[in-house]
Amino acid sequence: MSENYILTTENLTMRFGGVVAVDNVNFSLKEGELRCLLGPNGAGKSTFFKCLTGQLTPTSGSVKLRGQDITGWLTHDIVNQGVGIKTQVPNLFNGISVYENIRMAARRKHLKPMAREKAEEMMEKCGVTHLAKREVGLLAHGQRQLVELAMVLAEEPPLVLLDEPAAGMTGDERDRLADLVLETARKAAVIVVEHDMAFIRRIAKFTTVFNRGAIFREAMIDEIMSDRAVQEIYLGKQADVAA
Amino acid sequence: MERSIAKDVGFYVMLGIGLVLMFIGPLIWDLFQIMQITQYVVLSVYALSLAYIWGFGGILSFGQAAFFGLGAYTFAVASINMGDTTLPFVLSFILPAAFGAGLGYFMFYGRLSEVYLGVVTMVVTLIFWKLINHTAGPEYSIGDARLGGFNGIPSIPILNVPGDPSAWLDPAQMFQVFMAILIIVYVVLRLIIASDFGRVSVGIRENEERSSLLGYDIRRHKVIVFAIGSGIAGMSGAMWATYQTFIDPNAFSMEMSAKALVWVMAGGIGTLAGPILAVVLLQWLSLKLGTMHILNNYVILGGIMMILVLLLPKGLLPTFQALSLRLWTIGKSKMKERTPKGKAASDV
Amino acid sequence: MDYVLIILLEMLRAVSWLVLLASGLAIIFGMMRVINFAHGEFLMLGGYITIMTHNNGVPLWISMLILAPLTVGIFGILVERLVIRHLYGRIIDSLLATWGLSLLMIGGVTLVFGNTVQGVSTPFGAVSIGEYSIPLYNFVIIGFAAAIMLATWAVLKFTKVGLVARATMQNPDMAETLGVRTTWVYMATFGIGSAVTGLAGGLLAPLTGVVPSMGVNFVGQSFITVITGGASMIAGTLSASTLLGTVSQGVTFASGPVYGDAALLLTALVLLRVLPQGITGRIFKKSL
Repeated sequence: MSENYILTTENLTMRFGGVVAVDNVNFSLKEGELRCLLGPNGAGKSTFFKCLTGQLTPTSGSVKLRGQDITGWLTHDIVNQGVGIKTQVPNLFNGISVYENIRMAARRKHLKPMAREKAEEMMEKCGVTHLAKREVGLLAHGQRQLVELAMVLAEEPPLVLLDEPAAGMTGDERDRLADLVLETARKAAVIVVEHDMAFIRRIAKFTTVFNRGAIFREAMIDEIMSDRAVQEIYLGKQADVAA
Repeated sequence: MERSIAKDVGFYVMLGIGLVLMFIGPLIWDLFQIMQITQYVVLSVYALSLAYIWGFGGILSFGQAAFFGLGAYTFAVASINMGDTTLPFVLSFILPAAFGAGLGYFMFYGRLSEVYLGVVTMVVTLIFWKLINHTAGPEYSIGDARLGGFNGIPSIPILNVPGDPSAWLDPAQMFQVFMAILIIVYVVLRLIIASDFGRVSVGIRENEERSSLLGYDIRRHKVIVFAIGSGIAGMSGAMWATYQTFIDPNAFSMEMSAKALVWVMAGGIGTLAGPILAVVLLQWLSLKLGTMHILNNYVILGGIMMILVLLLPKGLLPTFQALSLRLWTIGKSKMKERTPKGKAASDV
Repeated sequence: MDYVLIILLEMLRAVSWLVLLASGLAIIFGMMRVINFAHGEFLMLGGYITIMTHNNGVPLWISMLILAPLTVGIFGILVERLVIRHLYGRIIDSLLATWGLSLLMIGGVTLVFGNTVQGVSTPFGAVSIGEYSIPLYNFVIIGFAAAIMLATWAVLKFTKVGLVARATMQNPDMAETLGVRTTWVYMATFGIGSAVTGLAGGLLAPLTGVVPSMGVNFVGQSFITVITGGASMIAGTLSASTLLGTVSQGVTFASGPVYGDAALLLTALVLLRVLPQGITGRIFKKSL
């Protein structure tokens, strides 16, 4: 039955000193599924995410990619298995142009002439063509997010992991991002870690809620949003959820 | 971003100057000048080795002299044993490059931080220096070559025409060959930097995490960059050995490592032309200051190093570029200021 | 039996030697994450002060234990104010600047005192254990190494100054918001680290004599010890000194002092391949 799962974790646990940031998480994602991870600050979403991407080595438990154990692998090895990763803080080559950034990503999968086309296509898709020659370090946060998304998607990975992609975006940028994520999800499995409820409601289907390092609820987004317990753990976010 | 070569005017200018000097130089200089300039050429190759790994690979080595010395001794030992200098010259690239790859494996796969990297490279140099200083006895011989400890190795063969050990190069020919090597190293490094491999190096320098998120193995990449730099440094050591026909443990000295750092810092990190200019300028300067007998080499080198770090952290060439750019923009904005004033005057 | 005792004492001396050489550097690295590349020349300066003042009539123990640390400590504070202070947060630049300083100091001392070896005779003579004789000065070295470690530990653990230092070490920004002048803490740290280095220089001067370029002979050992130990001043220095001192002394017994140094580096490289943050980066993490 595990054959149609692209990503699974078994008893995944991450401790920092005495703090258990991720506690015994059993998670699974089907091929081609779009999954949102929700949870209040400090719920362990980002730590969980970093265990998936190899940026952290979990204390115990395992991560499997299509049944292959990738626990403790280095990030670049995981990426080379066809995983596209966007980190929470935009992670870009600040000193070089938008086009060069995206082309470097496209070059991973394509030969030179194709890479140029692919980079241009991705810039168009992500709405950053007008910024092509700008130095990335000088862009606004939301624009940097889009550039990084373009880089991730330029590699055409079958599994895409996005950590807070909508942070710092304007309304227009967020709409574009939502369309992009939905389009990507037609061809690839996607995990989105996000705070922004307005954004979540546009894209989410099946959703996992984290609280205190563990999975708190897993259900369709409509159920989640009307769940009293979920609303309570969000406290301040209650109004958002109800709205 | 490193521009593609096709549009890089500076590259053609440097290339042109190099080729002109190579062919015209021996016709217009006397023997002493040729010898002097040959020395600058050798040290420029050495400077380029660090300029590449530091400026375009983000690897700061405090022990470039380890590879310089290793290349020099490799050439000395091999050429004394073989007679012909061609294979020893090739070995003086390969052996240091291999050693650099081995050391790089420990450093980069261990993911040492920058500070630790600096300390380890420096200590490696130090140990080479100590070991080679202790090889004075006749039991320390490799074939016909006695290592000679602190006395060094004398009568190292002069570079010969490949295959004919009796056909030594005269000083003018040696200058031309070395100039050709400098040009080749410069062009090859420029091509590497403009290639995909080079772009990845620059990417790693800019942001290691993003590079690994693109699937690049930064550890392996750094080992390769470091090995290339080590090989070039080793080759410059061989050039130094055959130019002087003598080599002693000072090739491994801290001073020698510090010189490479000073040239790259002075010329500007992230350029290739800058360090070459810095070699010529600073070697000439320390020659002039040295003849005054008030200061010694240590004071001069140390003083320049501290001044560079504290006052010109970007180096001479980039500082000069930035300064001229600023003067230009100030000039332009003054022009702009003048126009509205003129208008205001006519309005009145 | 006597032979075993001698071997053990020699090992202890080798370990103490590393502690002595490295502790000034470790104090600065532990607090500020700065490696002072002029460390060897600070040792040299301590040695010169000791020998020069002693040759001009000052009793040896005053030269060695008071004048050397005091002068080098004040020199350290000057260096911190004039150079290091401008380079906080630019670690690589601080390495480069202190390296420049090291060359400048070698050159400067050569200009003043010339490039010749000067020395005093080693005090105290020797004691015999069975048929072997060992210099009493070895016990001085062991004693001072232990004293420096104990003093550092006691200051950090029991005094208010130590508390401020630990707070700054763990979180400089937080310490600053609690009213600690971190710039003063750094200045004092650099001064104290330099003073300890000056003391070490004074202690080794009678053994080695002094010459402007002598620092080169000691920096390798000092640097390897500190980076192998990691960021904790005491646990790091002690664990690394014990491991490396034993290894290098073992190899020295077997094949002479030159290979001892090479063995030191090789051990450190292999260790750093496994523990890139040094011993205390992984083990004894919370220790001082």
